[in-house]
Amino acid sequence: MNIQSCVEVRNEWDIVKARQSGRNIAKELGFGTVDQARITTAISELARNIYLYAGNGAVAIERVENGGKFGLKIEASDSGPGIKDIRKVMEDGFTTSGGLGAGLPGVKRLMDEFTIDSKENEGTVITSIKWLR
Amino acid sequence: MDKLVIQLLNESRERIYTRWMDEMERVRDEHRLQSITDAAYEETNKELFEIIYTHIEQNVHKPTDRMTQFAEHLMKIGWRLSYITQGLQTFRRIILAVLLDANQSNDKVYSMYDEIDRWIDPIVNQLINESAKNWENTVSIQKVALQELSAPLIPVFENISVMPLIGTIDTERAKLIMENLLTGVIKHRSQVVLIDITGVPVVDTMVAHHIIQAAEAVRLVGAQCILVGIRPEIAQTIVNLGIDLGQFPTKSTLFKGMKTALEMTKRKMIEIE
Amino acid sequence: MRIPILKLNQYLLITIQVDLDDKTALQFQEDLLEKIHETGAKGVVIDLTSVDMIDSFIAKVLGDVVRMSNLMGAKVVLTGIQPAVAITLIDLGIMMKNVPTALDLEQGLEKLQQELGG
Repeated sequence: MNIQSCVEVRNEWDIVKARQSGRNIAKELGFGTVDQARITTAISELARNIYLYAGNGAVAIERVENGGKFGLKIEASDSGPGIKDIRKVMEDGFTTSGGLGAGLPGVKRLMDEFTIDSKENEGTVITSIKWLR
Repeated sequence: MDKLVIQLLNESRERIYTRWMDEMERVRDEHRLQSITDAAYEETNKELFEIIYTHIEQNVHKPTDRMTQFAEHLMKIGWRLSYITQGLQTFRRIILAVLLDANQSNDKVYSMYDEIDRWIDPIVNQLINESAKNWENTVSIQKVALQELSAPLIPVFENISVMPLIGTIDTERAKLIMENLLTGVIKHRSQVVLIDITGVPVVDTMVAHHIIQAAEAVRLVGAQCILVGIRPEIAQTIVNLGIDLGQFPTKSTLFKGMKTALEMTKRKMIEIE
Repeated sequence: MRIPILKLNQYLLITIQVDLDDKTALQFQEDLLEKIHETGAKGVVIDLTSVDMIDSFIAKVLGDVVRMSNLMGAKVVLTGIQPAVAITLIDLGIMMKNVPTALDLEQGLEKLQQELGG
């Protein structure tokens, strides 16, 4: 079984596309309704960040395995301006877009694992995993 | 195994036995076996020694069925695995000493040493593996059992439900509590949920945080929470830690909470003549 | 795509049944305020029973709609938020404070009636 998908994010509709394919994969992997909602929401937040800050990028979703444990991995990558101060964006309530500022710290709470790799003027890759309970 | 070694071990069996028994008596306290009678301890030691010796005679490099059963039995009646591993290690120490006493050449001693290691280590490893597997099984079964009695939502009156919480609340349990709470609210169409924390021993910042989050989530799905069962010491910790529970009503007892819940759903208890 | 807004006496009823994208959400915000202005409605129930995901953007739009409607003199109640959605919002750290909620449409209407005095 090799479940995966990759959605390019260029406009608002792609956000919906990315989260729908995320939900389908989460369902297929056997996540419960609550975790499905968590995964879908996390994808939505990450895809929106790409759309808002980088203009275009991609959200890749795939099944991962580690020591008999299965999970779903989201990789959101873009070649946008990068994140200047990662500590700052991980603070609750910090926003540059006038949103709720719940995005990245929220995604971290929704998922089990979360890493940001960002270089100024080169782009950002955010990887996040949710493990099946 | 080298014939010479076996021969040597058979010749000095008595000597090894006495030294081994002495050593085992000395480490008895370490394995918390003071409560076992002397006779029973000696009997078990004797059996273990027999079993170890059979291993040598049969020249096997993994635990025999007899060894596995012996270990399982001891563990079942509460002995520690360390008793057996120590038994094997002590045995190794003693036979090495015996081999050295027998005045072999250095090369010979080294190869014997190596051989004995290769013989004892797999046995110890497999015993440890098996016992670890047993423990893991037990732990995961208990975890499931614990989850089952975790957090039931009980419908009491129309539109009023109670969730009694008992025991320590960690993050994983908090998640389960939240899910049970919300699906129960929808299922029973509850307008008011009483969360009873009488049975929660410690309410620290973390636990309070989980409870507040659960109450917020309940509000989002369209119901209300009342926190009841707040004992004096819990009220003190909550205030001392600066935790704000002002978002939702709290009551000291389930009874008082129930009265409030009835009022919120426009009902009340009356005494009948 | 536009979300239909129904009028019932002095109330407006909205059932959101599509996966909300950003444009639709913003269009809905505009349409609702226009409709409140047009009808002079005193209360609004937005039913979210079929919504299986609310992210921070949609949460913000909904919160804004509630505040804007209040400014125009209409009370808004959100109903039918699913457990999974509620848990996700809490994880995100979005409490939607000061937004009235009810279990379903029926109880939402009841709540409005109570608060508006019939």
